[in-house]
Order: sequence, then structure tokens, then C-alpha cells
Amino acid sequence: MEIKVIYRGQEMTLHLEGEKVKAKDILKALNLSKDYAFVVKNDQVVSEEETINPGDHIRVVNAISGGTL
Amino acid sequence: MRKCVRCGKKAQIYLYSHRLSLCSEHYLEWFENRVERTIKEFNMFTKEEKILVAVSGGKDSLSLWHTLIKLGYQADGFYINLGIGDYSQKSLQKAKNFADKYQLTLHTLDLSKEIASIPDLKAYDSRPTCSLCGSVKRYYMNKYAKEKGYAVLATGHNLDDESAVLFANALSWNVEYLRRQYPVLPEDDGFVRKVKPLCKISEKESALYAVLAGIDYIEEECPFSEGATSIEYKLYLSQLEDKSPGTKLRFYSEFLRKLYPLLKESPRGNLQKCEVCGEPSINSLCNVCRLKLKLSSHKEKI
Repeated sequence: MEIKVIYRGQEMTLHLEGEKVKAKDILKALNLSKDYAFVVKNDQVVSEEETINPGDHIRVVNAISGGTL
Repeated sequence: MRKCVRCGKKAQIYLYSHRLSLCSEHYLEWFENRVERTIKEFNMFTKEEKILVAVSGGKDSLSLWHTLIKLGYQADGFYINLGIGDYSQKSLQKAKNFADKYQLTLHTLDLSKEIASIPDLKAYDSRPTCSLCGSVKRYYMNKYAKEKGYAVLATGHNLDDESAVLFANALSWNVEYLRRQYPVLPEDDGFVRKVKPLCKISEKESALYAVLAGIDYIEEECPFSEGATSIEYKLYLSQLEDKSPGTKLRFYSEFLRKLYPLLKESPRGNLQKCEVCGEPSINSLCNVCRLKLKLSSHKEKI
């Protein structure tokens, strides 16, 4: 399944295996952990178990930031 | 389907480290209560004091500012333009937009007018860019807060920042740094009080708050932070957290509870006044004046 996602301001297309895609599959495809990243589906924060469909507006937020501490 | 523990509606958020399911409305309430409790736990400040919030345009500082205002504190913002090209332009705009939206006071300072931009300063300092930038920012944040009469300087350092620093300092048992790692550094000769009200809020919790509260923050990273060791340490700790939720909070909280009391005798170490500007410094010449000296000698050579 092809899913379009917005990640750090950039749009990208993910090609995911299987008929049913969950939010956690998107995080995995981007190599992100649920400890610091989450998915926003159609402007709603969703759990990792949420089902994602190709038409959904998906934004992935990676909270990790670095630099000066 | 998980349900919000407060209202029974569908939970949008599950906080593994707290074993807590919450809907968006009750997540915002939980976050604000947690910040309020942290402020009170460490006696950070009162509602009568003027607070200057160091604002970068990112999720942590804007979430902090938003929360302090909602909780009824007197908080103004302070943005330092580091002169990092497009990144600084965008982040300044985010900070300004936020201040305009909530009709708040935002002070700004242009580093290139005070000394030089971070990309220009890099040529005169051998430290990693993030260390250089941090020391220059700390200097001007403290100086500006004093000059404008703010009792308190609040920064958006979160639990991930604090646990990554603690990890780094523990790896080399850097006692002097560990001694200063407390969420409140009291006012002292030359210093305003410095506080970190988000010290028990994880990076993800802070981003969730920003998204759910409708805060428009800069998501892209500073171009100089790529490959920073702080990010690597955060990723190591995140692996532990994934396997055992609550590890970061335990690591940091137990340091504060058990080890810090043994170290705290002299929180700021032995400081003196800089011979040139009078600001607190470890050496006779502070970092910023040393940089200024290098800059001026370079210009003379040209």
C-alpha cells in the first residue's frame, strides 16, 4: 500500500507491505520509535494501533531534537 | 480500544511511562498540572514574579510559554536570532506568530549585532558548534534578563534533554557539571534564577502538547545539530525506554533525589567576574569576551 506522509515539513510516499496498515507500521518504515514519535491522522493524534487508509492525511511527528543542552 | 481515564471517551494518547490513557482534552490538562506540580515541587517561582521564557520557536519553549500563560504566570518571551540562515528566519517567525496570536511580549536580540552570528563565530572557536552556541546563548539570556528586570529565566529543557546530559556527565563522572544539574539554579552574584519547568516532561509529551494545543512550531532541526552527541545519547536512552518504560524518568528523578543532595554544596562552582564585561565567568575573561577579542584581533589583521 502507498501512503503519503508529511514528515518534518516534507511530503514523502511510503510503500508498505500488506493490505492493512497501522500507525506503528508508518513509524517502523521511517525507523522511528514510539518513545519519541507519533502519527497525526486527519488532524487527530492517534495510537500506534490505529488503521491507516491511503486517502488519510498523515503527518508524522518526530519529537527528538538535539543541539545545545 | 483504550479509554480516557478521566472521561471514558476514546483515548488518543497512551503514556507508557505513566500507564495512562487520555483523550486530547484531558491530556492538555494533565500536562499543565504536571508542569504546575514541578514548579511547586522545586519552588521555581510564584505568580507575583516576572519570568522571561527563552523561546527558540521550537515545541518545548512554545509549549512552556503557552502553559505558563494558561496557568496564570507573568511570562514574556525572549528570542535570540543566531543568524543561522533560513532556519533562524523561520524560527523567529514562529516565535513572533505565537506572541501575536496570544498578544504576548516577545523581546528579540540579534546576535550578529551583539557579537557575530553563530556561523561566523564558529571560525573562532574550536568547540563543537552546539557547545559554542549554548555558551553564547546562556551569556545573553542571563545578561538580558538582568538588564530588563526579570527575576527568573525559564528554559524549555525537557526530561530527554536532562537525562541525556545526566548520562553524558555520568559517563565521565563530571562532578562539576553534575553539581549544576538541578532544575532550579538560585539567583547568585551576577546570575538571575534559572528554572526548567519541563524537566519531568518527555520530548514526546512536549510535542504532543504543542500539536494538541494548536501551537505552530518549527519542526525542522538546526542544521548544526546533525550528528550532535546529545541526539545519540537520546537514542540510546530511548532504546532502554522502549524496553522498560519509565527508565528516563527514574534515572533523572532518582539522581535529583539521591545523588544531587550529596553534590549540591556549591551549585555554580567557583566563579569570578569577567575582567571586561563583569558577567560571571570561570576564567578571568568570559567566553563571550574571549570570542570578541579573537574577532577584533582578526579584523585588525585584515
